[in-house]
Amino acid sequence: MPQQRFPKIEILQIAPHYIQFILSETDTSMANALRRIMIAEVPTLAIDLVEYAENSSVLNDEYIAHRLGLIPIRFMAEGSLKGGDCHTAFLPHQECVCYDRCPRCSVEFELDVNFDKYNQTRPEQERDLSLTVTSRNLISNNMLVSPAHFLNEEEQDESHDEGISIVKLGPGQHLKLKAIARMGISKEHAKWCPVAVATYRFWPEITINQEACSMLTLEQKQELVEACPDRILELDEITGNLVAVENAYEMATFTEDLKVAQNAMKKRPEDDDFVKVVQSQDRFVFSVESTGAMDAEEILMSSLRVLKDKLNYLAAEVEKLKD
Amino acid sequence: MNAPERSAAFILDDDEEKIEYAADTKVSNAGTFTLNKEDHTMSNLLRMQLLRDPQVKFAGYMHPHPLVHKIHLKIQTTTSQVAPAETLSAAIEDLSNETDHLITQVTDAIEKWKRENDTGMMGM
Repeated sequence: MPQQRFPKIEILQIAPHYIQFILSETDTSMANALRRIMIAEVPTLAIDLVEYAENSSVLNDEYIAHRLGLIPIRFMAEGSLKGGDCHTAFLPHQECVCYDRCPRCSVEFELDVNFDKYNQTRPEQERDLSLTVTSRNLISNNMLVSPAHFLNEEEQDESHDEGISIVKLGPGQHLKLKAIARMGISKEHAKWCPVAVATYRFWPEITINQEACSMLTLEQKQELVEACPDRILELDEITGNLVAVENAYEMATFTEDLKVAQNAMKKRPEDDDFVKVVQSQDRFVFSVESTGAMDAEEILMSSLRVLKDKLNYLAAEVEKLKD
Repeated sequence: MNAPERSAAFILDDDEEKIEYAADTKVSNAGTFTLNKEDHTMSNLLRMQLLRDPQVKFAGYMHPHPLVHKIHLKIQTTTSQVAPAETLSAAIEDLSNETDHLITQVTDAIEKWKRENDTGMMGM
């Protein structure tokens, strides 16, 4: 007998790096599975191997390799302007049949910065300054793959930033390396994590007992409004009734303050509550913020695809077990 | 020096099956599935879905140790007519359909949001 549910999605906000949505008519197990997959199992690209030709900078090889690893790498499918899901374009390196690496499972970045050579191109008065090597100095061998500096051109124009700093060079110093990015998931290393933030909060169900509230004076209602540190209540200016504020879901932290305040106002302890705020068990407000490696909406789509793949795999394995 | 590979958390060992089953020796209609290389993500999802099935009397899972990438999922059914594996299949299928439904929901919702909030900023 099928026990299937039909969850609903409402989008509250979409930006390239951020998405906020409501997942409803399902339970915490689904919300939590999605959250965990977004954090740990959505594949992205990250620098995983670095070959040094020359490093005379002040930082040692390992230190620079670690910094390179943490730079978000964006994959943009052909004709798309979004940082997308890279799983169709690449193979996980463990699964690839090639001997060492190939374009199917890796992307190569070249970096070659020589302070003295660069200094000759600088104006006279700037030649005493050190030179910062940034993610912009990484030259990709794949047109679709690049380090994520900025999410859009507008942001790039407004910013004085030159990309993600890697190391500063002084006179006589030279950094030359080849960095190899591979696809992976953040169960292996956090550098493959596409999200900076992936959380959900419970939708607050605010029930206001208007009948009980009619016993209260305006001052008492105002006291209730002020008792809540999250300010989820307000007084309707025309009717003087207590109402929940529109964006209560962003603020509610389910504190006990309202309970305490209204218990003091009750004539008898067993009287009905004036206001009840409970966590909904089937409605969740998700916030997902990207590191820049993928667009936030793509992370959501990708997490669903990963979930689907995992379920299909388990289904096939259970079938095998039955035979 | 003897640290296990980080990928051991999600890639099956050479001699490992994804799922193993052991029928319970003391309880009828019950058995334990060992899901290799799984964690709370899938097991909690499966457990909650199994508990919604009226043919399931008991469903619970255990993660024996944070460094052991295995899950023990125990299922007991109400009658001998239904094997624990049957209920597990059904739960996976329901979840799979739910995910399909979610994928269409998300696609539609994103499209709808973009239609209503077309600011020309999205580069479409």
